[in-house]
Amino acid sequence: MIGPTGTLLERYLDLLATRQRIASSNIANADTPGYRAKEIDFRAELDSLLASPRTSGRFPGALVRETWGAGARNDGNNVSLDHEMKSIAENVLHFTLASLLLQRKLRGLRNVIQEGR
Amino acid sequence: MNLWSAWDVSATGLAAQRVRVELLVQNLVNSETTRTPEGGPYRRRDAIFMADPMPASFSVQLARAMGEPLVGVRVAEVTVDESEPERRYRPGHPDADADGLVAFPRLNPVEDMVDLTSAVRSYQANLSAMNAVKEMLQRSIDLAR
Repeated sequence: MIGPTGTLLERYLDLLATRQRIASSNIANADTPGYRAKEIDFRAELDSLLASPRTSGRFPGALVRETWGAGARNDGNNVSLDHEMKSIAENVLHFTLASLLLQRKLRGLRNVIQEGR
Repeated sequence: MNLWSAWDVSATGLAAQRVRVELLVQNLVNSETTRTPEGGPYRRRDAIFMADPMPASFSVQLARAMGEPLVGVRVAEVTVDESEPERRYRPGHPDADADGLVAFPRLNPVEDMVDLTSAVRSYQANLSAMNAVKEMLQRSIDLAR
């Protein structure tokens, strides 16, 4: 009903929510000895989303991996708070934008329905 | 899409950091305490964190079942410093031994202050994450308007 753009936006919101969940998990464990930071390959997920918005990303968790390249501290923890804060700030902005677009889409649909009465 | 699990995860972070702050403040307050209910001077306490899969939260379990390594955090144990107390020469002190030495807690207030600052920052980071989730949930609700 909401068309390909709507589906794409919906899946995009899903992807952002997944990234937010992982960032929250990393932040909660910023002081846990031995914890390894997780991340999703956002670019790869987005690419597959754009390639086939209807099928891809049903289970976004499949592409979760451990963060590489971040130096671990003495206790084996490699969560970088700066990185996570950047990630959540970015998430909120992208989420706001995408949901506004989706909202506009839905509003347009509502107008069409009302005009048809 | 489930943002509530992120909310739950951040809440565990807040709770764990709060416990840590409480212990650190307790350490600072008792840096000169020579008597305790268990006898002897006060001993430094610290919280040890561990990643917690949180079986209680349905939303988190669901996310995990879908392959997301979503974990909260909890205080695994509270360690008590067992190192020898610091002995200071205070002959007039009621807790002094025959040589006039009093056992004081082996505490480094600088260490506790640094840990305290770090714990407060971590608490704030969890709070920021929670606010971000709240903002996103609000946007989702706006979709229904």
